[in-house]
Amino acid sequence: MIDHALLVQMLLGALLGLSVYLPLAAGQLSLATPAFYAIGGTLAALVSTRFPQLVGAGTGLNGADAAAFPLHALLLEMLLAGLLCGGLALALGRPVLRLRGIYLAIATIALVEIVRVAILNLPFTGGAVGIFGIPQVFATASGYLLPALGLLLLAGWGLQHLETRPLGLAMAAIRDDELAARCLGIHTLRVKLTAFVLSAVLAGSTGALAAHVFNTWNARQGSFDASVTTLAFVILGGSRTWLGPVFGGLLLTALPELLRPVGDARLVLFGLVILLGPLLVPQGLITPALLERIGRWRWSTGGKP
Amino acid sequence: MSDALLQSLLNGIASGGVYALVALGYTLIFSVLGVINFAQGALFSLGGYLTYLLMGGRIGVNGALPGGMLPVAMPFWLALPLAAVLSGLVALVVERIAFAPLRRRQAEPLLSLITSLGAGVVLVNLLQILMGAEGYAFPASALASLPVSLAIGAARIRTLQLLLLLVCALAVLALTLWLDHSRSGRALRAVAEDATTARLLGINSDRMVRLAFWISGVLAGLGGGLIGVSVSLAGPYFGMAFGLKGLAVLVLGGLGSVPGAIAGGLLMGLVEAFVPSALSGWRDAVAFAILFVVLLLRPDGLLGRRAVEKV
Repeated sequence: MIDHALLVQMLLGALLGLSVYLPLAAGQLSLATPAFYAIGGTLAALVSTRFPQLVGAGTGLNGADAAAFPLHALLLEMLLAGLLCGGLALALGRPVLRLRGIYLAIATIALVEIVRVAILNLPFTGGAVGIFGIPQVFATASGYLLPALGLLLLAGWGLQHLETRPLGLAMAAIRDDELAARCLGIHTLRVKLTAFVLSAVLAGSTGALAAHVFNTWNARQGSFDASVTTLAFVILGGSRTWLGPVFGGLLLTALPELLRPVGDARLVLFGLVILLGPLLVPQGLITPALLERIGRWRWSTGGKP
Repeated sequence: MSDALLQSLLNGIASGGVYALVALGYTLIFSVLGVINFAQGALFSLGGYLTYLLMGGRIGVNGALPGGMLPVAMPFWLALPLAAVLSGLVALVVERIAFAPLRRRQAEPLLSLITSLGAGVVLVNLLQILMGAEGYAFPASALASLPVSLAIGAARIRTLQLLLLLVCALAVLALTLWLDHSRSGRALRAVAEDATTARLLGINSDRMVRLAFWISGVLAGLGGGLIGVSVSLAGPYFGMAFGLKGLAVLVLGGLGSVPGAIAGGLLMGLVEAFVPSALSGWRDAVAFAILFVVLLLRPDGLLGRRAVEKV
């Protein structure tokens, strides 16, 4: 049922969920994640097919050459994509984050659409077909589990730490009441901007990794559909703890594939899950209260100190 | 005025009219509930397909019933309003399933973004199962009794373009007259202004919400039918693109503003029509680029009122 290729995609979904979660944890409904994901993927696709020497991968590679692209070059690409997207987010964030609520959501949807049309029309991104023959780092899909899991653990570790650090607390304060947070002397714009930039860095690196995983990259990777699907990761998984979007991303990425046996009806069922999920579990599947219960249960049964 | 210029102008106003229809649908719902109905694009698709079927169109080879058709073959002028009314009824179902439960328990408005999109995904994929993913062109005889083009001065204008313009103008006119002068229209505006006070005054706000959904579904269905007959039905997802642009128009005009939605739609259509053909691939980004810039300069839209933050 779940093979390694799907497992890698699920991890990518979890990463995108975290990218949407970050601004939301500071009360900002930004749907820009697919735009940065698309930019990161395009960067990796271009660098690895045209200028592999930039990341120290040597020249003369082609897509058929399995396992020819070194791991350090992939990591360097992910770093570059993260930096590029972080820089873009830093530049865009200051004006964009003045917008509130639904205005911010729609402005970021506009950003996603602009990036999509740009990737479709720019002379060097391969048009509707996209860029294909992106060199593989590993001979099989299972190889990508390592970098995907590594990035997820890194992001999770950071977010776990954030919960008790000034930045994380400031984000939570803004989410609860922005005006009150400002009265407490929190530089709200700077905090929101930090969350937005971190979200973009994560989405960009994920995109760079995904380009190699999928072997091909086109404009459809970042679209309005992706905006809402990634938001669904957070809403359905739970938006009060970082484990929520991770769980939502894993589950909702796997779902359409697991539903493949039902054929054409699978997208109808997927739609039903998105439609009914928030009605049945408005807080999401993973809530802080649930985590606390699990913690207590472990304490009372097996887990001796 | 040169021929090409006039043609572009009319094209712009005609497609701008359709954008305005979609944006007005969003506006009505936003003004009474303060939420966005992301199923609007799917209702737009539905209107197009229903118009096609009601006119006696056949289901294609990839559909669930290849070659099947309804036992009716209505003329366009009958099929379009009927398809729009049916889309309105489906919008009521969407309201019942995706919005009403959340409203009853006063859940976060954010959730309705997800549920309404879920409803849209379900609708579009049901259409896909029924009709297949292929595109459909309306039969050339759809408007048989009308000439293909009319001469206005030195220019020739496609009749379809005029029809589009006429239907959009009529729909917008009817809507504004209804909102301003009828009892139920004024009740709807009262709910939009202040739902609690409206309820105290004896207005059934739930009924007004359903009315807003029905009208917005009718407007989306009208748009879908019009685009279907003047361009084609480019697969079940074709309405989604219009739904998204309607969203851009909605914000451009200021959320909840009826004249804003109309002006925003026309502006968007006109700007798109004057994108040079060498750059036609970028046309779909124009709406969003304008939106993005406008939002940064005027965070409440072109004609929007500045929201006052209450403490």
